[in-house]
Amino acid sequence: MTTSALETTGIASRRPMLPRSLVGLLLLGPALAFLMTFLVLPSLILLGYSVLTQSQAGDISLPLTFGSYERLVTSAAYRRVAMTTLRVAFFTSVVALLLAYPLAMVIAYGRPLASRITMMLVVAPLVVSVIVRTYGWQLVLGNNNTGVLNWLLSALGAGPASVRLLYTEWAIVIASVHVFLPLMVLPLAASLARINSSLNEAARMLGAPAWRAFLRITLPLSIPGLIAGLTIVFSLTAASYVTPQMVGGNRGLMLGVLLEQQINTSFDWPMAAALAAVLVAIALIANVGVGWLAERHFRGR
Amino acid sequence: MAGRLSGGGGAAVYTMAAATLVFVAAPLAVVVALSFSEGALATFPPVGFTTAWYEAVIANEEFQNAFMVSVLLALAATATSFALGVPAAYALDRWPVPGARMIEAALLSPFILPILITGLALLQFLAAMKMRDAAVNLFIGHVLVTLPYLVRTVTASLKQVDRSLEEAATTLGAAPWQVFWRVTVPQIVPGIAAGCLFAFMVSFDDFPISFWLGDAETMPLPIFLHSSMSKVFDPSITAMSSLMILTGILAVIGLEKLVGLRRAMSV
Repeated sequence: MTTSALETTGIASRRPMLPRSLVGLLLLGPALAFLMTFLVLPSLILLGYSVLTQSQAGDISLPLTFGSYERLVTSAAYRRVAMTTLRVAFFTSVVALLLAYPLAMVIAYGRPLASRITMMLVVAPLVVSVIVRTYGWQLVLGNNNTGVLNWLLSALGAGPASVRLLYTEWAIVIASVHVFLPLMVLPLAASLARINSSLNEAARMLGAPAWRAFLRITLPLSIPGLIAGLTIVFSLTAASYVTPQMVGGNRGLMLGVLLEQQINTSFDWPMAAALAAVLVAIALIANVGVGWLAERHFRGR
Repeated sequence: MAGRLSGGGGAAVYTMAAATLVFVAAPLAVVVALSFSEGALATFPPVGFTTAWYEAVIANEEFQNAFMVSVLLALAATATSFALGVPAAYALDRWPVPGARMIEAALLSPFILPILITGLALLQFLAAMKMRDAAVNLFIGHVLVTLPYLVRTVTASLKQVDRSLEEAATTLGAAPWQVFWRVTVPQIVPGIAAGCLFAFMVSFDDFPISFWLGDAETMPLPIFLHSSMSKVFDPSITAMSSLMILTGILAVIGLEKLVGLRRAMSV
């Protein structure tokens, strides 16, 4: 940030009532206090619950125990749900990336009208509730012939109810790709738009074919946006509840749904808290950890 | 820029993008198509054409209630996030605050933390505090999820402010508050308005927070919709969903008109 004349000669010298950093903290105070009270403190208490014991009566208190975490790791059923979650999150982020790249390129480099239309169609679902979008997929993937996909296929002569996707892991992947695609496209498009176009032109003028210029210049320079998109989509998919609950069925049980069951069906708060801690850990590792590694890597070069 | 997607490669990129946009629009188009169906069930293909489901939904008192809850909640949450977020973003941009990067990361952290868990943590905390008013609890939760949108858009708008205009005003003798109101504010208003609109939609569409904090009497629209889906199988569900899609489309048009979507989304 440049130090402007305003900062050096302006407000501070004319009105030396309060130290400048104190004014800053006063302006920040309400937002920070709100966040501390209603996000940080509750999250820490919830984390605390994960190592406490729940009595028969439902009271949560000492002694400290890692029993909930132990059950998470040792129980085959929990492990299977954890693996489903990681698998769905992985496939969702990879598929979302493949679908997002052409969209991001059209937004960043396309003709103005194409770019605008693409941007609108990408952002519009972002402001439509995930309930509505997942419901749409229930209708599209329906397993009998009233599902749109099956209806289409049978109209094309594939026979009645030829695909059974609803209530499988793939249904969760398809719907999750749809839900989180904008969050992959936006950082990618931002990253692509920042690439200096003369680099590409220079490569082309020196005789590189378009695909090579893409592979050697555009793709590597878009990696920051690519990583940002992958981490956000991976961590949000891993912690999602609505989509697996609505299209996953029993075979597509994920950690978010399991967590909800712990609260509303088993009333096991320590277990729910342990699951929450695992999901937050996944989110933090994906976002903060990967971001830090990537930054170090790029600075090293 | 226009020439960067040309030739065979460009055509391939356009084709793949178009195919993906069909994938993006398909489930929403199916919902809208079925909302006009005369069939007794929300099943494909739609039959005939009727607006009866919309009339039924609009006359449904539970729907009206849920809609009002959602609108009021979104307005209150957006206004509060505005009051908390604008000064905070301004301080981060203009004042030498110790630990500014940490504070900014903390203010934006609701973005990366799973909302399902933020809601659960809040549920447990508010229950322990003996706060039983669902309306108040929902309000607190919705401020939590909308605040980062305000902080981010206001910070982004402030970074684009032309500082030389502020300096010119100061040099010409304007008082600091005059510089702020007459030079800085006009430059950041569109960005803030876009942030507010987006925050409103985030609250209006929210499921994971309302899921934990709502109750039978104070039930926002997405929760009402979700519970209706397991009880009602006629096309009225698709009509309600279509109304939510319409709200989303109007919001996107609003964002495009206010600042342009690409700027609103920092692309």
